[in-house]
Amino acid sequence: MPKFQENALILDHREVADRTWLMRLMSPKIALEARAGQFVMVRVRDGIDPLLRRPLSFHRTFPEEGCIELLYRVVGKGTLLLSKTVPGMNLDLLGPLGNGFDLPAPDARGPIALIAGGIGIAPLFDLMERIALSNPAFDPQQMNLFYGTRTVAELLALSYFGALGVRVHWSTDDGSFGHKGHVTRMFAQFAEDSAFRPESLYACGPLEMQFHVARWALAHDVPAQLSLESLMACGLGACLGCALPAASPDDPAADGYVHVCMDGPIFPAGAVQWQKLQVHRPPPPIFLSD
Amino acid sequence: MAETTGTPAAAPDLSVRLGPLRLANPVLVASGTFGYGEEYADFLDPGRLGAVIVKGISLLPRPGNPPPRLVETPAGMINAIGLENVGVDRFIDVKLPLLRQRRATVIVNIFGNTVDEYAGLASKLDGEDGVAALEINISCPNVKQGGMVFGTDPATAAAVVGAVRARTALPLITKLTPNVTRIGEIARAAVDAGTDAISCINTVAAMAVDIFSRRPKLANVFGGLSGPAVKPIALRCTYEVLQAVKCPVIGVGGIGTATDALEFMLLGARAVQVGTANFVNPGVSVEILEGIERFLRFQGLDRIEDFIGTLDTECLFPFAEDACGVLDLS
Repeated sequence: MPKFQENALILDHREVADRTWLMRLMSPKIALEARAGQFVMVRVRDGIDPLLRRPLSFHRTFPEEGCIELLYRVVGKGTLLLSKTVPGMNLDLLGPLGNGFDLPAPDARGPIALIAGGIGIAPLFDLMERIALSNPAFDPQQMNLFYGTRTVAELLALSYFGALGVRVHWSTDDGSFGHKGHVTRMFAQFAEDSAFRPESLYACGPLEMQFHVARWALAHDVPAQLSLESLMACGLGACLGCALPAASPDDPAADGYVHVCMDGPIFPAGAVQWQKLQVHRPPPPIFLSD
Repeated sequence: MAETTGTPAAAPDLSVRLGPLRLANPVLVASGTFGYGEEYADFLDPGRLGAVIVKGISLLPRPGNPPPRLVETPAGMINAIGLENVGVDRFIDVKLPLLRQRRATVIVNIFGNTVDEYAGLASKLDGEDGVAALEINISCPNVKQGGMVFGTDPATAAAVVGAVRARTALPLITKLTPNVTRIGEIARAAVDAGTDAISCINTVAAMAVDIFSRRPKLANVFGGLSGPAVKPIALRCTYEVLQAVKCPVIGVGGIGTATDALEFMLLGARAVQVGTANFVNPGVSVEILEGIERFLRFQGLDRIEDFIGTLDTECLFPFAEDACGVLDLS
């Protein structure tokens, strides 16, 4: 699959939820090739600090118009600088990178579960749109989006999902909207209460959340595709920095690593050794400018 | 300006000689930053580079260190990849043919846990079609054996280089670590043991910690710092090595622009390696090559060899008007 370096014009850029920004860019070559679940490496500004690009997944893509949308959360120096860019400026992008989600089979009719934790909603939105477009016979109400954030201010508004017609199940960690508690807890509870058994499951969010999703999917034998994250320098498989411990159920002797940029970022639930992962919690926002 | 006659000047001669090794130009990509040459093929033709130095190769495949393996720091990054690689057999069977197809000049970076392993690698790669030279890695800070331990003591450095020399007629380049008190001594030991050239430097041993989790940011605790942050260290090391030995030196460390590359060559480096900058801009090595060519035209020089090693250490304040370039080399 071709990859491009494209100087993309920022067309629109605004804060759509607390520290959550939506950016629309003119990037025709990348837009034409992008699949849901793939990502771009964004150079947030010229110069050497920050030095490395930031990986951001496609939020929506518009191949005919040559546009892409990125939805990202300000968590550190790079994304903070990115949030200061304005329409009319250009950003250097590399992409599309990574493997992307596999869409459900065209004849799939059964329910689909999508689990988004925080900014994990970003690639799932593209996926939902593509599922709806690729299969007009598919009832959007069969798409169940379980969407949780820490607090209501971080949630994307209901109107954001309105046109898609999917069923959205809301949760916030502090209970300020929807179910109180973690999104995975809500999902597991819902599945148990209503004997909900999705044909396929897609998830994106913090690694801690993905661990719970993976455990549920493996226990219930539901095929899952998880979009995982890891710090990466190149995005192309050259630096090998974005390694996660690989699980090879067929080969117990194998004890290697998978690389998020080229083997992923989408992995089946059983692809990584979750117990070996270190959990990263982003620093409190007050320290962002450091 | 140099070009005033209206007839285009012939392209400057960028070819360089490093002992027995002749390269079409002095811009190389550093080991570990360019994969096995295929990863960047969408963005540049590896055949245009002076040479591609592939990811360090060991006798057997290695999984590398546990994650997190990477952290970004101001103007740099620290890695603790731990020399993950496919092993020499798979390299020869799968990776090397692709590089041959692309007509790239290939330098293979090798490392081992023991002196014998280095020698074994040299035997395996000796005579492989498409291998132009070996770069002996005695300087990786991220593995206990096979890395820096060999490069911090003149005797062990000489033992490794000598063992490799005995097994191959290929040109040898020895890559040094900056994590020593007197890098010139190590360079001299490597030269005496038969290396044809020196690469300096590998990454600088470094650390980063997180005050929230109260943990190191790398699972390996330490890693190797690279990127623009290390360039002044690399320049100093290159200068010291050039003072200590007569053999050709390849400058590496924080090179991201043609200006950076030319600084090393001004000191006397006969070639340069571009490393971390590849991650930021995949086409940067070719941009550096073109920038060097523009600089030579601007200076009215026909050959890069006429610029190499022309540093005037006597004249500390060369602020004559014509010494200030107006050319943007970035």
